[in-house]
Amino acid sequence: MRDPRIEQLGRLIAGYSLELREGQVVRIDGYDVAAPLALAVYRAAVQAGARPYANLLFDGLHELLLEEGTDEQITFISPVQWAEVEAIDALVTIWSETNTRSFSRADERKHGAFIAAHRQLSNRRWERIAKGEMRWCGTLHATNAHAQDADMSLDEYEAFFHAACHTDGPDPEAYWRSVAESLGARAAQLASVRELRIVGPDTDLTVGVDGRTWIAADGRYNMPDGEVFTSPVETETSGEIRFSFPGVFNGREVDDVRLRFEDGRVVKAEASEGEAYLRELLALDDGAGALGEVAFGLNYELDRFTRNILLDEKIGGTMHVALGAAFAEAGGKNSSALHWDLICDLRAEGEVYADGELVWRNGAFVADPEPAEVAVAGERG
Amino acid sequence: MADARVERLADVVVAYSTAVRPGDLVVIDAGPAAAPLVRETYRRVLAAGGHPQVHSTLEGALETLLQEGGDDQVEWISPARIEEVERADVRIVFDAETNTRTMTGVDPARQALAQRARKHLGDRLFARAAAGELRWMVTLFPTHAAAQDAGMSLAEYEDFVYRAGFLERDDPVGEWTAFGDRLAALAEQLETFSKLRIVAEGTDLTVGVGGRRWVASRGRENFPDGEVFTGPVETATEGTVRFTFPGSFQGRVVEGVELRFEGGEVVDASARRGEPFLREMLAVDEGARRIGEFAFGMNDAVTEFTLNTLFDEKIGGTMHLALGKAYPETGGLNASALHWDLVCDLRRDSEVYADGELVYRDGRFVNGAG
Repeated sequence: MRDPRIEQLGRLIAGYSLELREGQVVRIDGYDVAAPLALAVYRAAVQAGARPYANLLFDGLHELLLEEGTDEQITFISPVQWAEVEAIDALVTIWSETNTRSFSRADERKHGAFIAAHRQLSNRRWERIAKGEMRWCGTLHATNAHAQDADMSLDEYEAFFHAACHTDGPDPEAYWRSVAESLGARAAQLASVRELRIVGPDTDLTVGVDGRTWIAADGRYNMPDGEVFTSPVETETSGEIRFSFPGVFNGREVDDVRLRFEDGRVVKAEASEGEAYLRELLALDDGAGALGEVAFGLNYELDRFTRNILLDEKIGGTMHVALGAAFAEAGGKNSSALHWDLICDLRAEGEVYADGELVWRNGAFVADPEPAEVAVAGERG
Repeated sequence: MADARVERLADVVVAYSTAVRPGDLVVIDAGPAAAPLVRETYRRVLAAGGHPQVHSTLEGALETLLQEGGDDQVEWISPARIEEVERADVRIVFDAETNTRTMTGVDPARQALAQRARKHLGDRLFARAAAGELRWMVTLFPTHAAAQDAGMSLAEYEDFVYRAGFLERDDPVGEWTAFGDRLAALAEQLETFSKLRIVAEGTDLTVGVGGRRWVASRGRENFPDGEVFTGPVETATEGTVRFTFPGSFQGRVVEGVELRFEGGEVVDASARRGEPFLREMLAVDEGARRIGEFAFGMNDAVTEFTLNTLFDEKIGGTMHLALGKAYPETGGLNASALHWDLVCDLRRDSEVYADGELVYRDGRFVNGAG
């Protein structure tokens, strides 16, 4: 029996997120456990007249590659994949794991080399996305592994996930259209801000955002979604921040991360657990020690930490920043193989000032954006 | 812990069937159920210095496409497929079905359309293989669905499958090499004949094989294996053949197939079950009505019919012929989007005459060959 929520999610991604049109080529990526959602997306794409194909991996093979492959094998990118990057009009990435810690004990150097090599592919992909030549959406298929990380049963986790996507309701697409409108208005309002100051427990961080574009994450690139973000001015981050939630990267957890920034760069980094990994990630390349993103999480169906960044960065009432790669469409210039989102819970205690004015307190903006700005936001493609 | 026989199968696939070399791009397509075999194969490809690229089949996608897609969608081929056919050094397919009847409800005309659209892919694959640019192979990973078709438990079926591949023996590769040499000697002998006449219950068929090459199928492109085959003269097939075994093809079963040939072409076709599908397949294209392959099954470790062509066509004491595409290495010229093997049991009340001389009786070559 098909889960109607998964069918709705498939249609939402094909119809709303990717706006698939007749003849468009769409690849569906994921592990084989994602098959139910992959098939739902596939079906919706066929119904839209598009040309879908699945690119499903067996899980556990990349772990074997790192364990048993040579450096040459680990960094090999197939010519087939290069050709595909150029040929597809849309890509769906379904994150779905059977074990979120399979890479926890992988050789860190080899893992880094693997990520760096594959970054060439993803860079080219992002280039095409930025030029409007292709579309991308990342989503998730609920598994016991994800549920376990969230301290839930699979049943509970599925309900939680679909509530966040609004795929448990009658008309998810209409819901996300309304989100697009309200987040668009918020992004338009933030566009005039030059500097944000985030104040919370052990946190007093100033982030320069002058001239940068705020983007409404309204369910096109991610599902679920619900944030507004930009890429900060590379040299203007200063102060301290303490992340209340553990940082998770490639299945590894780093607890209680504290960072100090000067002139945009991390000058001090500490963690209660996983500090060596934290340092390793910061040393990955030049851009890894600067911010590529600052964002407000605004999906209030997401009300708890689940150790999955797709969901956690959107928790309503949080802020997050990412070390590493910036978004070109936001005007960001920081380049890195890393893009590591770290989340700061501001729901119980926290304030954000925009050019000195209080705009956010205890997990919510203090005022709705001006209606006039809604019109401006509506013009954004 | 993997079944030791799965590890041995992976050994044979990588070291013998496809002989993976350093730098080879090795494309592996497998049903999700084949995961244990995929894993063992993947690590052996790595150890051989190859670059494995693995795809897990999305089950249900093809039915969805054929049932809900427009013609242009059904005919479309993904850039991954197109590139892989050109770029792969090795292509491995692990058949691991979870339901062998998924396509039963699909309009056969849609299947024929898909088949036709993929013809040039198959042609390219075989052309590159013939030019020595690519090695390909197909094997099966035992699943409940295949066991069910065979009327066995999964454990019994696993025994059957691995026995057929000599994988329970000490030196499978050595066994396949020796068996292959015996088949090669038989193939050489068969090349001296120009006409074969097969006589069995419901069958009296003459096939022209003069000037064609016979190939010893020794566990490279198919595993398990064990047959000698050729591409018959396209215009010389005459008479009637009744296929004693039902055939499972493209996710549906066809049973009791009878064909009558004149001048190499099927002029009459019937089936007890699946006749509309049979007719649709015969109409795929011009070449679908002619024979592209004629072969003797020679693997005596396969004794039982299991409703799976990969095994059934290798049963020692059977013959099969394929409607459609010929393999270029036999000298066969028939071109088609179809290649459908149909198997005939010759173990009882059967004879084969080569240029008038009795060479085969009740499943055995009379002179001791094979």
